[in-house]
Amino acid sequence: MSMVTPLGTASQVLTTPGIDLELSFNQAMQGLGLSSEVAHLIWLPLPMLLVLVAAVIGVLVTVWLERKISAAAQQRIGPEYAGALGVLQPMADGLKLLVKEDVIPARADGLLFTLGPVLVLVPVILSWLIVPFGQNLLISNVGIGIFLWIALSSIQPIGLLMSGYASNNKYSLLGGLRAAAQSISYEIPLALSVLAIVMMSNSLSTVDIVEQQNGAGLLSWNVWRQPVGFLIFWICALAECERLPFDLPEAEEELVAGYQTEYAGMKFALFYLGSYINLVLSALLVSVLYLGGWGFPIPIEWLASWVGQSIDAPFIQVIAGSIGIVMTVIKAYVLVFIAILLRWTTPRVRIDQLLDLGWKFLLPISLVNLLVTASLKLAFPIAFGG
Amino acid sequence: MLGFLKKVSDYTKEAFGAANYLFQGLVVTFDHMRRRPITVQYPYEKLIPSERYRGRIHYEFDKCIACEVCVRVCPINLPVVDWVMNKETKKKELRNYSIDFGVCIFCGNCVEYCPTNCLSMTEEYELAAFDRHSLNFDNVALGRLPTSVTTDPSVQPLRELSYLPQGVMDPHDLPQNAQRAGQLPSEVLELIQQKASTIDSNESIKSSNQIDNNKE
Repeated sequence: MSMVTPLGTASQVLTTPGIDLELSFNQAMQGLGLSSEVAHLIWLPLPMLLVLVAAVIGVLVTVWLERKISAAAQQRIGPEYAGALGVLQPMADGLKLLVKEDVIPARADGLLFTLGPVLVLVPVILSWLIVPFGQNLLISNVGIGIFLWIALSSIQPIGLLMSGYASNNKYSLLGGLRAAAQSISYEIPLALSVLAIVMMSNSLSTVDIVEQQNGAGLLSWNVWRQPVGFLIFWICALAECERLPFDLPEAEEELVAGYQTEYAGMKFALFYLGSYINLVLSALLVSVLYLGGWGFPIPIEWLASWVGQSIDAPFIQVIAGSIGIVMTVIKAYVLVFIAILLRWTTPRVRIDQLLDLGWKFLLPISLVNLLVTASLKLAFPIAFGG
Repeated sequence: MLGFLKKVSDYTKEAFGAANYLFQGLVVTFDHMRRRPITVQYPYEKLIPSERYRGRIHYEFDKCIACEVCVRVCPINLPVVDWVMNKETKKKELRNYSIDFGVCIFCGNCVEYCPTNCLSMTEEYELAAFDRHSLNFDNVALGRLPTSVTTDPSVQPLRELSYLPQGVMDPHDLPQNAQRAGQLPSEVLELIQQKASTIDSNESIKSSNQIDNNKE
């Protein structure tokens, strides 16, 4: 990682003279009389903090959207009194959970019980490392990019199983086991559909994957070349997030709340936060992998040349950067909206149906998809990134 | 070989059919989002109880003859009729009457059978109390009239679905003064009186005409 990062940023600075906030920050700090290394140290936590704040705000917005859209789909009103249209309701929820008593059941394993939610949340937040909002707008352009996310998301079931087992409760244990089974089953088709994308873009880096999609705007998005992969990825992402057609681990009608049964207060809030951060992250990654990431439906370069401006002009760069962030967020939230709509449309599948779908349907199809992509890449190297 | 191909095509058809059903479901859910909420925001808005609504029982002490029919028709003999026999007048003298609404099932049998109509059903349904003993209403409490939803200034009364005019689906769509379907008894009375007076005046005109005719 430490090898890749400076090389990656350096090469980008050479090839695309876009916005490099770190460089400008570094120069400004040096202007104040600090050495380059100190400036780098001061810079380091800033993007992380920014992304953490962005993730939490994203969760608050998603929770609000979930409640409002759920209400609309059921012809209710939804939260209304906390702030205008109830926008502060998620804040109120969070605050309530913050001041609630932190209960650890008497017969539970205190250490594992506490460690569980942490182990669920941390990898999800860590995965935001690789989400690009623009050419240089990501914490770290790690070379293994999307693979890092897949690796990190495999840590989650350990945390779920841990908390389910440590609760010393039959519902929790069942929920934890289901969560583990589900995560493991759906990780494989997920990874295979990502692999097809990686094969087409010849890179694991999320930045390269987006770059490769933005040649001709809307038409060059991966969703047209990988429609099956897109669907498989979205289904698997929903299953990984434990969203409604696949929310067996916390199925409230059968398992009370699954592995969350014994949790209260801030530990429960960590689970809650984790599941919603994961949803936003999955939506962001779908938009990155299949919907052209920060790309505008019409390439910014074309728009700039029509207006008669160079793409390298500073204010065009700023506008392009802002459009990039807005586009990424819009695409992600459209997907979040679809996820919420799906929640009120689809009934929950049974555990055997879930595993059937994962192993007997998605896995073979994603394998075929991978093979077809490989052969198309050999046959039409221009269209499929040869 | 053909059998295998058929299996594959059937499987594919099934998968696409499932996807199609899912899409249809999504369309339904999506369509619901543009509909107005049907929420009634109680305590600020309340539905107008339907006529013949069986709410808390109202009781008129002065009409009661202490016959105890209400007690006999009650499934659990709930009304307590406290009377003494006045030996001089040889009549029952009513002292107290009470119904415990913590136990009452609001079946309305007492109201149905009361020979003097001293019992009646009201529209009151907000009977929550901190102590169940405070639900044991005596004749004073039973004699109180509830605040009607339509006359309470702090409440926006809403019609129930079956009382809406044809074509209207949401009570919020009605104008402010269209609070109740049909007419109040007082309005019906007014209408009857009006009709009667017009008939009277018509008859008087007719009779005067007749008189005129007779004169001729």
